[in-house]
Amino acid sequence: MGIINFAPKILDPIPGGKYVVNAIDYVVNWARANSIWPLTYGTSCCAIEMMSSSMARYDIARFGSEVFRSSPRQADLFILAGTITRRMAPAIQMLWEQIPGPKYVIAMGACTISGGPFIYDNYSVVRGAQNLIPVDVFVPGCPPRPEALFHGLLTLRDKILKETCRNPWHEGEPRDVSTMDRYREAANTWAALERMKDEEMAEARAKFKEENPDYKSSFKPVRIKKEEFPEVERIPCKRFGLTQAELFNKLRAKFPNVTVHTHSEDPIEDVVAQMPADRPLEVMVTPEDYLPIVEFVKNDAEFKMDYLIEVTAIDYDDHFDMVTQLRSMDHGHKIFLCLQLKKDFSIEEDKRATSILATAPSISHLYPAAEFKEREVYDMFGIGFDGHPDLRRIFLDKDFVGFPLRKDFTHPEMIRRPV
Amino acid sequence: MSQLPPGFRITRETNTEEFFINMGPQHPSTHGALRLALRMEGETIIELVPHFGYIHRGIEKQAESMSYLQYIALSDRQDYLTAIQNNLGVVIALEKGMNIGVPEKQEYIRVMLQELGRIASHLVFFGCFGGDLGGQTCLLFGFKEREMIHDILEEVTGSRLTTNYFRPGGSRFDVPDTFIPRVKAFVDHLEGAMSDYERFLSKNIIVLDRSVGIGILSKEDAIAYGCSGPVLRASGVNFDVRRANPYSIYDQMDFEVPVAYNGDCYDRYKVRIAEIHESMKILRQCIDKFPKEGAWRAKEKPVRLPVGRYYSEIETAKGLYATYVVAATTGEKPYRIHTRGPSFPHIAALNKMVQGHKISDLVTILATLDPVIPEIDR
Amino acid sequence: MFVPSITNPVGDFVRELVPQLAAFLPASLQSDTLNSIVAFLVNALICVIAVCIVNIGSAPILIYMERKVCAHVQCRLGPMRLGWHGTIQTIADVLKMLFKEVYAPSGADKLMFYLAPLIVLIAPFIVCALIPFGRNLVVADVSMGIPLIIAVNGFGVLGILLGGWSSNNKYSLLGALRSGAQMISYEISFAMILLFVVMISGSTNLMSITLGQEGTIFDWWIFKVPVLGIIAFILFFISSTAEMNRAPFDIAEAEQELTGGYHTEYNGTPFAMFYLAEYIALVTNSSLAVTCFLGGFYAPCIGISFIDQYLNMVPGVIWFFAKVFFMIWCYMMVRWTFVRPRVDQLMDFEWKFLLPVNLVLLVAGAAFIAISG
Repeated sequence: MGIINFAPKILDPIPGGKYVVNAIDYVVNWARANSIWPLTYGTSCCAIEMMSSSMARYDIARFGSEVFRSSPRQADLFILAGTITRRMAPAIQMLWEQIPGPKYVIAMGACTISGGPFIYDNYSVVRGAQNLIPVDVFVPGCPPRPEALFHGLLTLRDKILKETCRNPWHEGEPRDVSTMDRYREAANTWAALERMKDEEMAEARAKFKEENPDYKSSFKPVRIKKEEFPEVERIPCKRFGLTQAELFNKLRAKFPNVTVHTHSEDPIEDVVAQMPADRPLEVMVTPEDYLPIVEFVKNDAEFKMDYLIEVTAIDYDDHFDMVTQLRSMDHGHKIFLCLQLKKDFSIEEDKRATSILATAPSISHLYPAAEFKEREVYDMFGIGFDGHPDLRRIFLDKDFVGFPLRKDFTHPEMIRRPV
Repeated sequence: MSQLPPGFRITRETNTEEFFINMGPQHPSTHGALRLALRMEGETIIELVPHFGYIHRGIEKQAESMSYLQYIALSDRQDYLTAIQNNLGVVIALEKGMNIGVPEKQEYIRVMLQELGRIASHLVFFGCFGGDLGGQTCLLFGFKEREMIHDILEEVTGSRLTTNYFRPGGSRFDVPDTFIPRVKAFVDHLEGAMSDYERFLSKNIIVLDRSVGIGILSKEDAIAYGCSGPVLRASGVNFDVRRANPYSIYDQMDFEVPVAYNGDCYDRYKVRIAEIHESMKILRQCIDKFPKEGAWRAKEKPVRLPVGRYYSEIETAKGLYATYVVAATTGEKPYRIHTRGPSFPHIAALNKMVQGHKISDLVTILATLDPVIPEIDR
Repeated sequence: MFVPSITNPVGDFVRELVPQLAAFLPASLQSDTLNSIVAFLVNALICVIAVCIVNIGSAPILIYMERKVCAHVQCRLGPMRLGWHGTIQTIADVLKMLFKEVYAPSGADKLMFYLAPLIVLIAPFIVCALIPFGRNLVVADVSMGIPLIIAVNGFGVLGILLGGWSSNNKYSLLGALRSGAQMISYEISFAMILLFVVMISGSTNLMSITLGQEGTIFDWWIFKVPVLGIIAFILFFISSTAEMNRAPFDIAEAEQELTGGYHTEYNGTPFAMFYLAEYIALVTNSSLAVTCFLGGFYAPCIGISFIDQYLNMVPGVIWFFAKVFFMIWCYMMVRWTFVRPRVDQLMDFEWKFLLPVNLVLLVAGAAFIAISG
């Protein structure tokens, strides 16, 4: 509460006092409207456009708003630049509460207005900043251009000029994060409106046809000749190091159990021989062989797979495929180790969604890079890792229920994409 | 030591001067919604634990219900500074699956837009590096030239930042006639501008003091942590996907891969500046060789991938960007798409680099790693 | 009975005027003591108003100037919309900050939290009172001017330390501690250079330091002592930049590292006071530089009488402020050009380079005086 809000209480009862209040309003609003200091806050793409808007080409300073404050205590304007996730939501509410009044909020970009491209099949994005904090101006776009942000700023300026200290700037409280019902309601309203429009159009068309039975459109579609494009053959990217066949044969000599991931029914040797040059060799390994193979390919002089590209997994009905992608810096060849992990179906069916269904040996002692990657796999798939030093969730909150990248994952806030 | 917050691991005697500080998720120099928990002794950092997920948008989950073409638009939003490069990474994987190639003109368009995107990203790095050191003016200088790239991108793709331009077998539109002259004018302009900017930072005594010998990442650590791009090359590893595994027509281009050997902040800065010059060299070659005639895309085919797993890797401005597409059924939708962004391993290696440095150095190191957080969290 | 008095030309005028006016009062009320007390109060009022006008009046101009200089360094335009070329932009900013909500964070020491910005303001205000802006324009013409300035400058660091400590925020505390270390270190070289000026001018009174520079531009202390003067001026420039916590030595605020340093938790009017103090310190330090090195209110005569007569026609106070604004412009250009050193490098620079050079400078100055007699 600024001291200015006491002015009407004191002055309005005095005869003629309301003119003084009006004058105060005018001056204060003028000052507030023309000196809007934004908070340095940005999560994703929109933040870059927000930065661009303060740079030399667009120069938000022309409107007096170049004083980006890092501390929320000194800011007036909260530009919500970038997607808001459920994990970030409490931080945003706290930031908003820390901004001293009068405070204004611009929701920049489609994500902060409605969830934008992240509406469907999403478990982590908050569908609209207005569900968290009161928003003054919405700036659409994905991301909006800096000019659009300026338009938002000037719109906010107009809004501030209409304020009065008799009725202070907002009486809102931060809202609950649960947004599903509000969203569904809005979607239903929208659909009803669309239906209404269709019906109206059909009525209007029928009416027009009744009135002008002989009407014939003079519009003739112009046909543009479609450009002929050639069919082009794909030239595989270049490859260095050992070929897939050499790699596979050498690996097989050491570990006879390995096979190649393939969907064709040809013999494995043929499949490996026919692989295009830029197709990485994807080897199926058994859980017992996994750690020895990784150690072997890392230390063997001919393989020398010293670089871990990625550890990721794929969820199938009864098993996970955990893919460890390795590369040799010196030789340039790649090898993908596909570890098939059978799901542990001894767990009761209603507990499966929230429990670890398979366990793999951790390779983080061989590749430090694997530590975070394995945490990601654990977080997304619920695959445990033996011997991992710090197995925690990495992207989601520790109290998040379920493992999102499993095919049977459900979340109360998730909306299925309409087909 | 049982009271340590989760993630902290170094065990030693606590003393009274030790305290914990929390940087982010809203902090001016964490480049987005990254949270770093620091264990400090006075101003010296003992240990750092990164916390991710503040911008985890579930892109991979969403991709499973999207068509391949729709996913190209989402790839823009991962590393928004190199959106045009991410597009190509996805498209190359799709082309491998569909087994189609692209005409020569399109290859040139691709390479030129790749290099423009690389320059744009490195210019943002240049600005943020100077800005995070305290020289706000640098930030604006970096962004000034970047706007000219955005003008070109806007003319070609219709969008400034999220381009969504490439398609399997080609791209959405042909480039306009003004493309080549504009790129030529831009490269000529950048040549002069870069020499000015380098004079501003490269030999500045305070910059040298702040960045030489700071945040050293040894060659072994850089490889072990899976670093890529300029960070890896600054540590003395000559690895660039454009050379190690050439895609598009990079094998016909004459350029050098800048490598530095100290692995400190200044080397990472120098490598990126050198890369801008190499990119300009590639652009000049493309301008000379750009075919005036010829188709700009291959014959259109429905984007349906046969069953299989497809992998592509490209070199974006930040490093190795790999796309792994799993098609379990022949159709328009992926079973799973996974992208490997370059920034994630860099932040994983951050703890190694900052130990024993001051909090100001953390800002410098983070700026030279040039991370983009949405790409880490996805 | 001891009656305090202010020794300055305006004070003399008031002291003469008050007894004349008192003559109109009834005889029973007339006494010399009363006259001098009234004269003192009127004097004090005039002085306070004068200092406030110079200080608070110059701050909005400086903020506008800073924003414009910064913008043009960065190839931008800066404020353009409010008034002609955004001239009244700062007025809107100040008004807005005054009407902003004010609160202290939970866990803060409320008394100290609100006291800190006031303490920060003390130092520049007192220093401003000692500066001779013109031949007759000085609020307090004290004979121990330079020692007083050195003493009073310590107030600033007190306020910053208090502010950082009382906000109950780790970033603020770090910023305050950095600032404490920095300002106390640089105070030493700051004082040393002022001592150098005292040594060569032979006076601690700022007015007589200024009067010693009468004549052409080559009689200014910066040029009068060959080479040493210029070195001293550069050292003064560096240490006063650090003393003011301005970039490139703004490690106490260090927006990229500490989100605002000691004033992270301040909002509304208290924050405006910190902001104000920064710019008033800019004026006073520039004034000090002008007084000690650049000839104070004297015109930059070059020894050619034809030109000098026109230069001398301009009042001294205008020359003074012209020089002050030139100095401020230099400070601003430095701020927007250089990057920030790290906190330990800053300390190294002071203790391992600046201080030894200062000591050598003092010895060299003494030698110069001994040789030139």
